[in-house]
Amino acid sequence: MTDQPITKINIVKRPRRSGNITLKLTSMLDMFTIMLVFLLVNYDAEGNIISVTKDLTLPESSATLRPRVASVVGITRDWLLVDGRPVRRIQGITEAKELLIEELYDELMRLRTVTETIGGMGSGGHGFRGNISIQGDRDIEFDLLKRIMLTCGQAGYNNMNLTVRQK
Amino acid sequence: MNLQKTLGRTMRHRSSDAELTITPIMNCFLIMVPFLLLTASFVRLAMHDLSLPSLERKPATAQVSQSTPVVLNFLYIRETGFELRSPELTFPALPKRGTAFDWGSLATQLQRIRTRYPESDEIIIAPVNSINYQTIITVMDHCRENGFSNISISG
Repeated sequence: MTDQPITKINIVKRPRRSGNITLKLTSMLDMFTIMLVFLLVNYDAEGNIISVTKDLTLPESSATLRPRVASVVGITRDWLLVDGRPVRRIQGITEAKELLIEELYDELMRLRTVTETIGGMGSGGHGFRGNISIQGDRDIEFDLLKRIMLTCGQAGYNNMNLTVRQK
Repeated sequence: MNLQKTLGRTMRHRSSDAELTITPIMNCFLIMVPFLLLTASFVRLAMHDLSLPSLERKPATAQVSQSTPVVLNFLYIRETGFELRSPELTFPALPKRGTAFDWGSLATQLQRIRTRYPESDEIIIAPVNSINYQTIITVMDHCRENGFSNISISG
């Protein structure tokens, strides 16, 4: 306990403020300018018209061709997917003697029938065109890719495109 | 002679913190930043086109093959390196340099085919089973950059 009387407590006096308070906005402006430039560089009016299958790293490429809308065959490390639906496990595919992947073929034929039926209803010519995009993990081997491409070709999907990530 | 007076200016004491009116710019930025954040795409996708000949497209491809003679260029990708085969041209095999493929020599060989057959842009890539997908895509990139836009893959 100090023996100072209460009346003598030292109050730190703040300096009197002037009427108009000004914020220091320069650093914030700098940050915004940098952000704007960065975002303008990444600006893409078109957006991604196809979605990437999860759990896979697409290979990098210098290709500039814009992706088309098509059904997607996804090849992750564990699963083979058609439009996001798992079709079969990758394990064991490359050990089979038969190059055609039965489950994938059935699924693609089902997809083809649906597309053809819907295309037959209208007159706009939106029927089956045999477009398919293959999204494969960068570490898969050619043996697997070959079997998948062969199966797609057998099912009538002859216009294949390999989706890649632009560098 | 006093320069300031000659120029018609008078020295005036400026206050140390002159302020710009940056509020409108701030408003503008605040609107633009969320807008651009929404439209920005951080992963840009592209594709490599592979078209196999199909029954419906046969007449079109037949016409093309009539006008230009088909030159079958094969590029084999092996675990040990590349080997390029083209009619009337012989190339030495390109072994790997350490662990990396010899991309520079491949580009030189591809350019030689292009100068020999300027009208042909077809190449068939034939990798062995153990080659990984990224390598195939990079080979396709190199072929496209050297003028071979019509790429096929053969098992």
